[in-house]
Amino acid sequence: MTIREKGYHHWDGQLKDTGIDWLPIFFNGIKTVFKKKYAKVLFGLTVSPFLVFLVGIYVSTKPELKMLTKLVRLLNTDAEFFNVFFTNNFLTFMLVILGLFFGSGLISGDIKFNAFPLYFSRPMNRKDYIFGKLSVIMFYFLLFTLVPGILLYIFKFIFTGKISIDPQVLLGLIFLPLLVTLFLASVILMISSLSGNAKYAQIITFLLYIFSNSIALILVKIFKSDYFYLISIENIIKQMGSFMFNVRAAFYYPPWLSVVTVIVFISCAFLVLYYRIGKAEAQIETGN
Amino acid sequence: MGTYLNKIRIYYLMEKIIQLQNINFSYGENKTIDNVSLDIGKGVYGLLGPNGAGKTTLMKLLLGFLIPSSGSGRVLDFDIATGRKEVRKRIGYMPENDCLMPGMDGVTLTAYLGELSGMPRQEAMKRAHEVLYYVGLEESRYRKVETYSSGMKQRLKLAQALVHDPALLFLDEPSSGMDPKGRREMLELIKDIAGKESMNIIISTHLLPDVEYTCRQVIILNNGQVAAERDVSSVSTDRFNRFNIKIQGETERFLNKLQSLNCTISENDRGLYSILLPKEQSPRNLFKIALESHVQIRHFQQSQTTLEDTFVSAVGVSNDH
Repeated sequence: MTIREKGYHHWDGQLKDTGIDWLPIFFNGIKTVFKKKYAKVLFGLTVSPFLVFLVGIYVSTKPELKMLTKLVRLLNTDAEFFNVFFTNNFLTFMLVILGLFFGSGLISGDIKFNAFPLYFSRPMNRKDYIFGKLSVIMFYFLLFTLVPGILLYIFKFIFTGKISIDPQVLLGLIFLPLLVTLFLASVILMISSLSGNAKYAQIITFLLYIFSNSIALILVKIFKSDYFYLISIENIIKQMGSFMFNVRAAFYYPPWLSVVTVIVFISCAFLVLYYRIGKAEAQIETGN
Repeated sequence: MGTYLNKIRIYYLMEKIIQLQNINFSYGENKTIDNVSLDIGKGVYGLLGPNGAGKTTLMKLLLGFLIPSSGSGRVLDFDIATGRKEVRKRIGYMPENDCLMPGMDGVTLTAYLGELSGMPRQEAMKRAHEVLYYVGLEESRYRKVETYSSGMKQRLKLAQALVHDPALLFLDEPSSGMDPKGRREMLELIKDIAGKESMNIIISTHLLPDVEYTCRQVIILNNGQVAAERDVSSVSTDRFNRFNIKIQGETERFLNKLQSLNCTISENDRGLYSILLPKEQSPRNLFKIALESHVQIRHFQQSQTTLEDTFVSAVGVSNDH
């Protein structure tokens, strides 16, 4: 007998209470992104810096490859090596492209298709919703920053055959990718929450990335002050790397200022997100 | 099975599913809910009211989307202000407007929303297949939801509201956008669900026949206040007698006198007056007033009062629902 013929019947299971109500958003988001067209191509491109640096580590540990030493001079210290790995422009660019690819539509899609009543009639508040969406971007960003960083660290031990842990490098290795990904993810999500059109969100994010760099460069040239690099996404990440790994500063302003500025940007992005999602929750249409 | 029995035990023993005491809510200067006190028991309730009556705001308050500015309320024994997550875990909500998550097929969407309600993944998927079958979407469950017709979207919205087997179901205009056959099926589904002991339903709708067909009780809101609360089955023997009359003579004087007796009067395009006479008034009074007003009654017929009459008499308008 079919269910319809025998009428409605109750579900005899029990609802879970994991305390992490946003977890289904995270798992669903990861699955959805992975199924997207061109995802594998983009992932392949994003992982390429890791492969290059892996070869670099190998070369630096083999005396017989001395002719390549010049190429890997930057690998003299672990701090410099990881600083360059995390702050190279190509990796930052690919993270932004990845963010455009799967992050820009995360909230704008929900706005466009009015999905909020479906989310907020569940045991979920706006913090859960934001964490859920953020976790999807963070997962992929960390997959191409923190994970390769840790792998490079391990491979270095394997190639050199000796284990030496520098606490400064270890802390930088963990906290720099966390801060960079949180910064980029919060900005991308904030822009996504401003429009119901994912294309607009993508364009705005890309323009912000491009213009933040070029406007900073113009202002630095005009006013002869490196402080203007604080508004450049690429350059603020470079200066944060200098601070985290305690290496020579990339620009002439205190490196700690870049960290403070990024934290301010992240806080502002979350405030906007919290306000936008709260507004959407209160405006859910229920009857007339 | 044990959990299900527990659920029945908890909610079936509960006499009052919703309790509101002196709830107030304002949007700026505009008071949309004005000192509402309500006790809603088990079963199926219809929520009626003209535009701007406060239905929307009341639903938002019950769902925990808004916090009352004063007063207190409990849904399934959880405070509507502080226990919002607990309330949402136990309710199912079928929104009126189209809402979906693009790129998903029907069964994935339903299972995903089941998971968001706290269902284990595998059980959510199994149950999603069941409820989609139940609402009549078995053939289309693997189709992308954005390709669904409006009738199918209505069914999908019902399925996602049912997937976690809530104790209280909010249905907002459940039959809107459906063809007559689909509408009939939707009402049948609601009636079938309502037949389950531990399932309580609140239907907000403009369609009085839907309420008459599916609901046990009706709550009529007007100007942010509860204008009437009735048992649908007793509407015909309620506070009014309904008479259809045709008159000739000094009509205005006659109608004014009737209004002074608290009668609600409406006229149709054929000159027939429909009069809702309060129960305490004798029909003889109509003839007495007609005589005093020099009016001839050419046609006199008693008819059954309907939910629409109750609505009209409670709200005081005839065409704004």
